[in-house]
Amino acid sequence: MESMGSTGPVTQAADDPPAPSAASAAAALTVAGGAAARAPFTARARRDLLFCLIEVPLGLVIFAVPLVLSGLLLTVRLLVNGTSPSTPASGARPAGVAPGVLGGFVILLALVIILPRAARGLGAVHRGLAASVLGERVAAPPPARRGRGVLGRLAAQLRDGPGWRAAAYLVVKLPVLVIEAYAVLFAAVGLANLTYPFWWPLFRNHPPGTVLQPAGVLTPFGSFGVATFAGTWAAFAAGAAMVLAAPWVARAGAAADVWLMRGLLGPGRLAQRVADLEQSRSVAVQDSADVLRRLERDLHDGAQVRLATLAMNLGLAREKLPADADPQVRELVDAAHQGAKDALVELRNLARGIHPPALDHGLPDALATLAAGSAVPVALTTNLPRRPAPAIETMAYFSAAELLANAAKHSHAHQVTVDVAEQGPSLVLRVGDDGVGGADPGRGSGLSGLAQRARTVDGRVQVASPPGGPTWVTVTLPMHA
Amino acid sequence: MTSSRPSHPSPPERAEAAPRPLRVVIAEDAVLFRDGLARLLADRGHRVVAAVGDADALLAAVDRFRPDVAVADIRMPPTHTDEGLRAAIELRRDHPGTAVLVLSQYIETRYAARLLEGNAAGVGYLLKDRVADVAEFADALSRVAAGGTALDPEVVGQLVRATRHLQGLAALTPRERDVLALMAEGRSNAGIAAALVVSAGVVEKHVASIFAKLGLPASEADNRRVLAVLRYLGT
Repeated sequence: MESMGSTGPVTQAADDPPAPSAASAAAALTVAGGAAARAPFTARARRDLLFCLIEVPLGLVIFAVPLVLSGLLLTVRLLVNGTSPSTPASGARPAGVAPGVLGGFVILLALVIILPRAARGLGAVHRGLAASVLGERVAAPPPARRGRGVLGRLAAQLRDGPGWRAAAYLVVKLPVLVIEAYAVLFAAVGLANLTYPFWWPLFRNHPPGTVLQPAGVLTPFGSFGVATFAGTWAAFAAGAAMVLAAPWVARAGAAADVWLMRGLLGPGRLAQRVADLEQSRSVAVQDSADVLRRLERDLHDGAQVRLATLAMNLGLAREKLPADADPQVRELVDAAHQGAKDALVELRNLARGIHPPALDHGLPDALATLAAGSAVPVALTTNLPRRPAPAIETMAYFSAAELLANAAKHSHAHQVTVDVAEQGPSLVLRVGDDGVGGADPGRGSGLSGLAQRARTVDGRVQVASPPGGPTWVTVTLPMHA
Repeated sequence: MTSSRPSHPSPPERAEAAPRPLRVVIAEDAVLFRDGLARLLADRGHRVVAAVGDADALLAAVDRFRPDVAVADIRMPPTHTDEGLRAAIELRRDHPGTAVLVLSQYIETRYAARLLEGNAAGVGYLLKDRVADVAEFADALSRVAAGGTALDPEVVGQLVRATRHLQGLAALTPRERDVLALMAEGRSNAGIAAALVVSAGVVEKHVASIFAKLGLPASEADNRRVLAVLRYLGT
């Protein structure tokens, strides 16, 4: 690795026409020559070759696609032909057209269904190979989106960009496959050619005068025959040249292949950007939830404790005032005492608005406390087998708090229903009331703010509130931001 | 209420606050508040046998000193969530002789339900703010130590708000509702009479009327009465 790394720039200098001086160019050529001689024996060369060796059969798998397709077509033909005798003779001509159309349709359908998914799988194998053999890590593309229903799935397959790009990779890499095959050929045949002078004396020791068939020697530029021992050295020379060339061919093939992988098998630039943004947004959302939690804890351990102690001391002072104390002093102490208690209440409400402590025990407990404090009676049901992310819990809690407050303020409801459940990857919060209805998210109410906050985690808010009620607001959030 | 009172002996209107000196263990992680509380209790003639900073130390201290009352903060290290509450529940199970008064910056109805769980004898759950009203806090402490109940008015308020749609509750007069709330806090008839500034006989009449309207079993012991009321209110 070390020697290869250092020869990189040197080789480049030797190839560059405007070399600084002839002497240094010659020296560089010598170094490059030495590197070329050492090349077959470096770890990198072995890895490149191994990569080519595995890639060649792996790349050929693409030819299975036409095979499968023609098999399918054949099956369709057979099926149609098998049923055709039962059709009347006059219908023979349309029946002959139908298989062609039908066959084409089936092939297209099969392509759409099989290709992106299969290509994704094969692409993953290729990426894995590059990672494990070459140490070249190509990021995985974003997972395929799943559609709903047969047509939805089909559409999702059609729109699966990474799947189709992986398919393109499998086709576009065919020329690269030729280079890789050559690398393998150079190495294998070159090694074989090197052996000629060594086995010749063992097997070709016939009495003089015997006419022998010349032994064939394979090279990339054609083959020649060797009939004498001296000739075997020509085979040896050809073999040596091939073995020395093999690493460079292998490297070219591997590099071209990795370049293609990065372009076609990795996440597209846009997809990568989206993934990055999603991740950084999730961090930001999570982070702000953490900050609020810390802020509440600081208030709890700091200001609230001091204020509670102050109120306690003032209470004690008030008790200890002598019966004949100056009424003004008593009044002042009373006012201070009451002020400290009021401040304590205000601070508690503030802290609760920052991060309700009941959330530490999960959403069900926090919502139960919220429901207990509601001005309108609340029927609460929760079904959360798993805990959502803290930021999602906070968001769901404050959504419920706002909706409850809305119901109490505007709806004249007698009964509110709050229902939280995990549905697939989502947390669904439904708040309903039997009030007057007519809630309009467009009128700059709290509802639009709610929807905006939900959007920061790809959540959404649906409002159903006909005039006269009932009102149902559904907040859907991902379980994890 | 505060006008002409001698500094130490219990005032006549607080008959239930027996001036019995209590042995108390305090568990509170905020040193400032812990020290203030210890001074307040000492000032009231009680003896603070241990003042500790976390739940494990609380359990150990109760094991060792067998105090009359343990006063515990709910949020304590290491997680600052409900260590104190869990320790209190454990104490109630393992040390029936020690009353438990839980203090918190917040009132959670669920916490109250977990703490009471079928038995309201010798247990209290108050906001830390209540400590500021020294006489009332001392009252609550004595009541709990004597096997009674002290439930924060805010818990009771939440429960009453959440259940006021019930038929029975709607049938109560405003005065009867006040009495019901004070009953739920754990006060005796005498305590209720003092708080509402009426005679004990009037309170008895109200209580009988409430029990009849809500269909609750009449009960002599105050803490049983609390449980009955709480059960009615739906904890």
